[in-house]
Amino acid sequence: MAAFDIVGKGVPRTDARAKATGSATYTDDIKLPGMLHGRLLRSPVAHARILNIDTSRAKALPGVKSVITGADIPPVRYGNWRLFPNLQDEYALARDKVRFIGDEVAAVAAVDRDTAEEALGLISVEYEELPAVFDVDAAMRRGAPLVHDEVEGNVSLDRKIRYGDVESAFKEADYVRKDTFTVQAVSHAYLEPCSSVAQCDQDGRITLWTSTQVPYIVQCLLASTLKMRENDIRVIKPTVGGGFGGKMELRPWEFCAAFMARSTGKPVKFTLTRREELATGRRRHPMKLISKVGFKKDGTLLAKDLKILLDGGAYNAMGPTATFLCGNFGAMLYRYPAYRFLGLHVYTNKPPASAMRGFGAPQSLFASETQMNLAAEELGIDPIDLRLKNAQVPGDEIPDVATISSCGFRECLENVAVMSDWKKKRKSKKKGYGVGIGCYSFISGGVFNWFNTQYAFSTAEVRAFADGTVHLLTMASDIGQGSDTVLKQILAEELGLAMQDIRLTTADTAMTPQADLGTWGSRVTLMAGNAVIDAARQIKEQLFGAVSARFNLNVIYDLECKGGRVQAVGKPERGVSFGEAVAMVQKTNRGKALVVRGSYTPRRKGLVTPAFSFGAQVAEVQVDQRTGLVDVKNMWTAHDCGTVINSKSVEGQLEGSLHMGLGYALSEQLVMDGGVTVNDTFLDYKIPTALDMPHGVSACVPTYEPEGPMGAKEAGEGMVSPTAPAIADAVHRATGYRCMDLPITPEKILSGMKNKG
Amino acid sequence: MIVRFEYFAPKSLDEVLRLLDEYGPDACLLAGGTDLLLKIRAGAVTPTAVIAIKAVKGLDLISFDTTKGLFIGATALLSDFAGHPAVTKHYPALRDAALATANVQVRNMGTVIGNLCNASPCADNAPTLIAMGGTAVVESRNGGRCVPLEDFFKGPGQSVIGPGEIVTSVTVPVPPKGSGASYLSLSQRSRVDMSAVGAGVFVRLESSRIAQASIVMGSVGPVPMRASKAEAILAGKRPSAALFARAGEAAAKESKPISDVRASASYRRQAVGVLVERALGEAAARAKGD
Amino acid sequence: MKHVIELKVNGDSYQVAVDPWRTLNEVLREDLNLTGTKLGCGTGDCGACTVLLDGRTVSSCLTLAVEAAGKDIRTVEGLAPSGEELHPIQEAFIEEGAIQCGFCTAGMELSAKYLLDRNPAPTEREIRASMSGNLCRCTGYDKIVAAVDAAARKMK
Ligand SMILES: Cc1cc2nc3c(=O)[nH]c(=O)nc-3n(C[C@H](O)[C@H](O)[C@H](O)COP(=O)(O)OP(=O)(O)OC[C@H]3O[C@@H](n4cnc5c(N)ncnc54)[C@H](O)[C@@H]3O)c2cc1C
Ligand code: FES
Ligand code: FES
Repeated sequence: MAAFDIVGKGVPRTDARAKATGSATYTDDIKLPGMLHGRLLRSPVAHARILNIDTSRAKALPGVKSVITGADIPPVRYGNWRLFPNLQDEYALARDKVRFIGDEVAAVAAVDRDTAEEALGLISVEYEELPAVFDVDAAMRRGAPLVHDEVEGNVSLDRKIRYGDVESAFKEADYVRKDTFTVQAVSHAYLEPCSSVAQCDQDGRITLWTSTQVPYIVQCLLASTLKMRENDIRVIKPTVGGGFGGKMELRPWEFCAAFMARSTGKPVKFTLTRREELATGRRRHPMKLISKVGFKKDGTLLAKDLKILLDGGAYNAMGPTATFLCGNFGAMLYRYPAYRFLGLHVYTNKPPASAMRGFGAPQSLFASETQMNLAAEELGIDPIDLRLKNAQVPGDEIPDVATISSCGFRECLENVAVMSDWKKKRKSKKKGYGVGIGCYSFISGGVFNWFNTQYAFSTAEVRAFADGTVHLLTMASDIGQGSDTVLKQILAEELGLAMQDIRLTTADTAMTPQADLGTWGSRVTLMAGNAVIDAARQIKEQLFGAVSARFNLNVIYDLECKGGRVQAVGKPERGVSFGEAVAMVQKTNRGKALVVRGSYTPRRKGLVTPAFSFGAQVAEVQVDQRTGLVDVKNMWTAHDCGTVINSKSVEGQLEGSLHMGLGYALSEQLVMDGGVTVNDTFLDYKIPTALDMPHGVSACVPTYEPEGPMGAKEAGEGMVSPTAPAIADAVHRATGYRCMDLPITPEKILSGMKNKG
Repeated sequence: MIVRFEYFAPKSLDEVLRLLDEYGPDACLLAGGTDLLLKIRAGAVTPTAVIAIKAVKGLDLISFDTTKGLFIGATALLSDFAGHPAVTKHYPALRDAALATANVQVRNMGTVIGNLCNASPCADNAPTLIAMGGTAVVESRNGGRCVPLEDFFKGPGQSVIGPGEIVTSVTVPVPPKGSGASYLSLSQRSRVDMSAVGAGVFVRLESSRIAQASIVMGSVGPVPMRASKAEAILAGKRPSAALFARAGEAAAKESKPISDVRASASYRRQAVGVLVERALGEAAARAKGD
Repeated sequence: MKHVIELKVNGDSYQVAVDPWRTLNEVLREDLNLTGTKLGCGTGDCGACTVLLDGRTVSSCLTLAVEAAGKDIRTVEGLAPSGEELHPIQEAFIEEGAIQCGFCTAGMELSAKYLLDRNPAPTEREIRASMSGNLCRCTGYDKIVAAVDAAARKMK
């Protein structure tokens, strides 16, 4: 493995100072002259036909500058799945029908927020309520009300995977079990509520500042819904306060801000409230998972038959991708000679589910890891041994997916067993005490081009200057995960520069090169990182040429960029400073600036992902057997993310994953009463506090991913998945209660214990 | 909801009483505002006048006197109360209850008395204050009265305080010799949270027997509720784990919880029994001075 | 009716006319353009809006601006002694990697200051308890706790 100067170090984030001093600008911090404030009128009913909307009283309110409804906007449906237009099922404002409580019906822009809010109360909407469906079973029942009239049976998409001979494998198996699992809806709960500000210039071009993970996707979809040209829309991502998958689509308020900025000639800002976020916002898919697995007596896996019903809510959003991926995650960690998957994405009259950290994995892995633990128990094999027996190893092929190149899964399992003192702790008979295990595998960005982009997946432009600095421009979006820092590190490493030598411009569709699909699916480090490396190599080619000519170097000499110099390897005296080298190239090209573009698109990597990451986690719990309260004491994690580019970032991602995984396991749940999300404040939507966090210890298993930049791959997204199954397993050891339906609440533990006697 | 109101910040109690009188049912008192502002924004109350009382001099007093006991002024902050040396020394259970309320920021704004006047069944400070025999001093333009906290609560969000009235203080007797109290609460997240259930208990021992016991449960009925059957079980008995377990069971039976987003009725019932049992254990230990 | 009040923020004095129902958070962010103080929930639950009022942390989303009149208000903008220097708490947050998306950071730093002003050498448990009114969705809190600990040592 290569030795690095900057990569691998815990370099402080480049944006930390601005954030520490409060000077980083988030979207809601933007205030433009003459700016109007927008608010959305949302449907109070889960399913209804809109008979009439009367906006006259609202329009008459002094200070109100614009009121729009679905009838005022172009009837263009949008959705991220541009590749299959029939999956694009949303209008920015409802037309004819509303499909969930919170569906956007009208928008108001006024001189201040209070006036806008008041105007909302003056809009009267006549609804004809329709029967509604609130869970997958009801939605799929014969004769069920249709959420979208054109989608029979409310199944908007099915996904099948099939390889090996599943039937005969089950016949051959010594041990077969079938289980049903359910998992709840949870919120991204990013701390920054969504916000957008739009401005329209005198030429009619739109600039939109918005809290998003996907500026390019917003640009394209905004253009199509406004019936404008893409290049007439500029989307800028200011500092973003977290996304976790919840900010990766075009959203109604982005459309409304732009539309109303154009129609009023004034900037318009929309900022959501936390209530809107929790009660109506995107969420992680609730799922029902029915899984059948077969083993040989010795624990060898033979087959799996998995069916997943995704409760998609009222629109597809990123549900189709989740439907694809949860099937892949069902058979990613272990070798399944035969696998059959059926995923159904089902419409219900609830707020739409979409992408959320893990993207199908937390649900799928809760089921499959719990089932592994159930099987281990019944087969009388230690759960870690059972996993070791079936674990993927480098070179394994997942049929129709890809061949796994780097893979440290076995090492993760072995490490975590040692770190946690597994053998001893697992035997403990202490009351209310238990340890349990869960594992994960994850993708490093998706390959399947559902957005149907016509550009490379990631692009980076590098401009080099004679003063020894460079300017990196990329549309990659830092939403808090730290990609700005990581990309700078990669470029600094490649060009032998210091972090301060790099100016960075990101995520501005009018300035940064087309395109980048955005931040999701753990794609940024790998894809944008590779684009940066591609650009850096092109710069180096030119610098090396100039230095080679200047010193009349024999062609067999290799050159390097190191310590701010461009020089012959081993002969630093035959070299010049980086700036001088740039000046030489510039002279050679008679004044042409040294500017290059690098790009990356995964090719020959199947349709799922170019690289896989792995990990194993052990949870230790103490359960109060009388109240059912779970105290998670320790979590040990061993993971394989390839080369670590920024150790602080990777640790931070892992610790953050643990937080989200813990909430998913124990305390977080959007409680539904029919179509109503009952807990719409952080008082009752319980994300863990600093006091709730267990003590965590983690270790990296060193691997090198050939497809990744400098050997790196995904870190921090997949890790959100093993926590729930690991805690569930530990709780089972502690109490005898085996959780098959998340979250693990004190009530379920107590009644589970009672049922055990 | 858009809310509009007039705001007053009188400097004297007389002025507060005058404004209360003038605006009647359209006035709301604002102490820390941590409950009131949320209620106003939710449209649960629609005052035309909000009368802030934090500017009234001396109303934030907390004092202790070995004969009169503890005095808690209307604007005494939860954080000042929890950190007060006399409270820590003589009323550790009241301190625990105050610390179990909300988070640091809210305790820096919110008041003990606001917590009571808000009259939520889950008010963390109510059970122990009731169990320890606290009394509210209520004033209006027409004079004053004292209301034992036991009789203070009328239903969710409702207390005996009517229009024109203000609670100026709450007093708590000096804990008698050989007595101890405890407050325990439970929530799915760590204790910086609205509790799903709570139990405040007070016991007094005399020659190793329970001479007096009060048990008050939070979040298991429309108001903080007394577990009289459980108290009766304890009367005159020697404290023991088995006895406390029986009392806990009785308390659970007496409770009248509902199901909501924080917990189901049956879980609340089971948990409150456990809390009562454990709180009795802690109170008895404190009474014995260990 | 609007009230004309004087707000003393980070040592500077501002006269503003405010409606009585407007929160300190709104007035800081919208009228005074001090946008370092964030709004994460508006219901007192997340701590992103934390400011110091007469030395104590409060949620500016639950504090009426009129209530803050005349009091000493400190926001994240007033933490650093100058544009070039940082407060030790800020340094520690940067060095320890306690900042990811940064939306919780201002509130966290002020809660840390409140704690360290009262307790210069807190234990880990005390730090966690004292910061538990500040939610963070990104970091899992470990690095924030480490930063407060490091800041305590720097400030000795
Ligand atoms: C994030 C958060 C978490 C919370 N967690 C908890 C918790 O864990 N446990 C808990 O019990 N509570 C909790 N609360 C509720 C609240 O903080 C407490 O009830 C607090 O003590 C209320 O005090 P206050 O001074 O803010 O009351 P205010 O909001 O000022 O007043 C509350 C009510 O009492 C009336 N009132 C106030 N003072 C008087 C008086 N002197 N005389 C007559 N009427 C009066 C007001 O008009 C109002 O109706 C929480 C609140 C928030 C925002
Ligand atoms: S914004 Fe004030 S506590 Fe969340
Ligand atoms: S860093 Fe994102 S919320 Fe704390």
